[in-house]
Amino acid sequence: MNHLIRGRPIAEFRRIIQDPVLFIGLILVVLFVSITILSPIYAMVEESLTEEGQELFDRYLSSPVYRNIIRNTLEMGLIVAATGTALGFLLAYIQVKVAMPFKRLMHITYLIPIISPPFAVASAVLLLLGRNGIISKGWLGVRYDIYGLDGLTLVLTLSYFTVAYMNLKGMMQALDPALDEAATNLGASKFRIFRTVTIPMLIPGIAGSFLLLFVEAIADLGNPLVMGGNYEVLSTRIYVSIVGLYNTTAAAVLSVILLVPSLLVFMVQRYWISRTSVVSVTGKPTGTPQQITHPLVRWPLFAVGICASLFILLVYGTIFAGAFTKILNVNNEFTLDHFDFVINGYGSEAMKDTTQLAAIATPIAGLLGMIIAFLVVRKKFMGRAALDFATMLGIAVPGTIIGIGYLLVFNTPNEITLPLLGTIEVIPKLTGGRAIFGGAGAIILVFIVRSTPAALRAGVAALSQIDPSIEEASISLGADNIGTFRRITLPLIRPAFFSGLVYAFARSMTTISAIIFLTTSRTKIMTHQILNEVENGRYGNAFAYCVILIGIVLTAIVILSVAVGTTTGAEKSIEGGA
Amino acid sequence: MANEQVGTLVLENVSKIFPQRDGQGEVRAVDNVSLTIHEGEFLTLLGPSGCGKTTTLRLISGFEMPSAGRILLDGQDISHRPPNKRDMAMVFQSYALFPHMTVFNNIAYGLRIQHVSRSEIKARVDKVLDLMGLHNLGERRPNELSGGQQQRVALARSLVVEPRVLLFDEPLSNLDAKLRVQMRSEIRNIQRRLNITSVYVTHDQVEAMALSDRVVIMNEGQIEQIDSPEEIYRRPVSRFVADFIGRANFLPATVEAVTDEQVTMTLLGHKVTARAKFAPAVGDQLTAVLRPEALLLKSDPNLPQAVVKQAMYLGASSEYIVDVDGQELVVVESDPSTEQIFREDQMVGISFVAETVHLLAQ
Ligand SMILES: Nc1ncnc2c1ncn2[C@@H]1O[C@H](COP(=O)(O)OP(=O)(O)O)[C@@H](O)[C@H]1O
Ligand SMILES: [Mg+2]
Repeated sequence: MNHLIRGRPIAEFRRIIQDPVLFIGLILVVLFVSITILSPIYAMVEESLTEEGQELFDRYLSSPVYRNIIRNTLEMGLIVAATGTALGFLLAYIQVKVAMPFKRLMHITYLIPIISPPFAVASAVLLLLGRNGIISKGWLGVRYDIYGLDGLTLVLTLSYFTVAYMNLKGMMQALDPALDEAATNLGASKFRIFRTVTIPMLIPGIAGSFLLLFVEAIADLGNPLVMGGNYEVLSTRIYVSIVGLYNTTAAAVLSVILLVPSLLVFMVQRYWISRTSVVSVTGKPTGTPQQITHPLVRWPLFAVGICASLFILLVYGTIFAGAFTKILNVNNEFTLDHFDFVINGYGSEAMKDTTQLAAIATPIAGLLGMIIAFLVVRKKFMGRAALDFATMLGIAVPGTIIGIGYLLVFNTPNEITLPLLGTIEVIPKLTGGRAIFGGAGAIILVFIVRSTPAALRAGVAALSQIDPSIEEASISLGADNIGTFRRITLPLIRPAFFSGLVYAFARSMTTISAIIFLTTSRTKIMTHQILNEVENGRYGNAFAYCVILIGIVLTAIVILSVAVGTTTGAEKSIEGGA
Repeated sequence: MANEQVGTLVLENVSKIFPQRDGQGEVRAVDNVSLTIHEGEFLTLLGPSGCGKTTTLRLISGFEMPSAGRILLDGQDISHRPPNKRDMAMVFQSYALFPHMTVFNNIAYGLRIQHVSRSEIKARVDKVLDLMGLHNLGERRPNELSGGQQQRVALARSLVVEPRVLLFDEPLSNLDAKLRVQMRSEIRNIQRRLNITSVYVTHDQVEAMALSDRVVIMNEGQIEQIDSPEEIYRRPVSRFVADFIGRANFLPATVEAVTDEQVTMTLLGHKVTARAKFAPAVGDQLTAVLRPEALLLKSDPNLPQAVVKQAMYLGASSEYIVDVDGQELVVVESDPSTEQIFREDQMVGISFVAETVHLLAQ
């Protein structure tokens, strides 16, 4: 009996090495994740624990200035998480439960912030509500100082509420409508249903969104740089440590301080929230959700929904208008100069570089996400939870931390010394001046690392819906693992693959915090250039960059939907009918 | 020796231990199973849910690896050969059709993997579509088919690759009763015609009896009995088997005399002699198995008397539950004539066909 128990892992191991492609694939994935995600984080933590780093820890944690920065960070995170989740909840509830006109259009406007570049929202809000704002000064005649926590809350909420909105909307739709109906039949009023049925069922979703938004908010760099004013947070302080003070150790120490709440929240999200989720998404809804039609409830909610839409349109309209006018609100003359600057002038290089690098990273991230999802869901091997966890760290860890980690690990060539062969360069210098590919390699890796987690989650969700015996049928008919993945699994998870690719491209094009330390004179990145323009007050150029960037992302979505497809091919017959 | 092994599939002391799903302890899903399946044979694994049938099948197919023991095909150890190299095709309970492919492409799948030429694929798929009565459905997608048609496509997809062994895991359990009977005989006909060695898993004893050359009765991961359907019905080796296959009455009996494996005892007031596969001694307590159709009811005051507790007229037969000295027995009378129908609470004489008595050690 005992020898059997001990024999099991060996048997499983034997099964894995029996399929060499699977085995090599697994090794490659583990190597990739270790080198591109784990080693930078490790290096950063290691740097912060040097003697110098430990002194800095002591100093920071006892200094009132730094304590204040830490408090600001957490305060901002909590407030944004609360407002973003509340807004997302409200808008999702209105979408799902209220009968009203323009529903679909409103829904689309709520999705716009996903593909928006950093600084775009903050800059537009400054133009609208800042000291000389079009609304604040122009229409209302007040001199309002929006810099600081209030402005940050507004722009971060606007930038991230979509996450909560989509999360909660999906959950509300999956909630069994029969539950509502049962409650109505028992004579409960709509508000009682809301309070006693809807809210409790959604608690995990609300908590999950809250945590996600908290992490996004404290990790955000772009908005605090533009909007922060005197309200300093950890991410901006880390940025200044590297860019202004060239003090990597200080940056590492501050990063570790930022890493603690991020990781804590990530763990809570992963091991607590996901376990307690009560919503069954697998069951088909047995009725149509009860819609709210009472005019006294319906029209105020409609007003909230439409106001949110209009404000988003106003912000993006400002970006658009700003891109086509000399100086918006000062000299409203139509001009194409800003576009000329980006397309033909100084910005053209960044535009091409960024698009190219994102285009290289996108398929790799999409495929990697699907492959890891496949390994994690379908294959039995020790450490599959660890592989999932390590991959997710790519997004759970704030971007600035990844960036600094890359500087620490890849600023010099990585070598190993072997007994007979001597010293071999395994990974060449990837970052900084004289790096190979002008530093493009590191940027591509960061793009991949930051976007694989979303593809992984989409892939895991899709795979769990597919009966494993479909893949077994393929193997039983003689196909190997790779053939089965290519011919059966991948086509069946095509919608997830597609959304993984779209996310990867959009994320790569719009990311700033993770690559801001990695751009070089030879490899320019659009988001970094936008920051330069914003910092110099040249909003027209910044907005032109943003418009072009949004245009590139939208074009890519169209190309991807044609090239990859958004359906599995199994759906067609449903309308076709037998 | 080598010749004898050709075409046979052998399981040698095979066990499979899973870690318990909640991570505490382990499950012996298959426990020391030995089995020989002959070329062209239709063998069924039958047993209650959770007895290890599916796991045994998955061990044969290679989707699971044995924790102990060996699996041999043609005398070669294939225990660790990956499932796609075993030349076996599996028909799944859920059919597992590829939802994104047409019926034609579903069936052609295995041939494409084997790089069969395009024209041959067309010919072979068309042939099997014909065989399964699926002509004209080639361009449909699986979810445009009825359950029965999906089942046929699943079977066609496995047949077309002409595997050495066909494996079935409860393939009919998702069909309604009438279709099930029809598909059952189709599977049987095709298997006979093509003479493909088949291992079939079911928990439906009627299905097992109807289809199989031999039936393996499994219980808690172990084999209880391997025999032809008739042997299993007539001479079950244990109470479990007798109870699982058909219905059975168990009567206690005391051995009164033993001569040349012939055991004499008294059952329902009759002195009977029956063969025992084991060697009992005088005075031993045995169990006699009497099938419901072996019991006879008659209005005869000279016979031991029973009280009818329940009477059900089923057309082709009548079914009674009667009470004899406090023990309830099931009696089935086939083709009952009008004067032989008994009513509830009626007293009736009971006897049995002595030749059908089967003895169990406990
Ligand atoms: N992958 C697995 N992990 C843990 N336990 C399993 C696994 N597969 C089967 N079992 C257990 O093994 C036993 C036999 O299962 P199975 O072979 O599916 O039975 P059957 O097909 O006869 O209903 C059951 O107790 C089942 O819970
Ligand atoms: Mg089973």
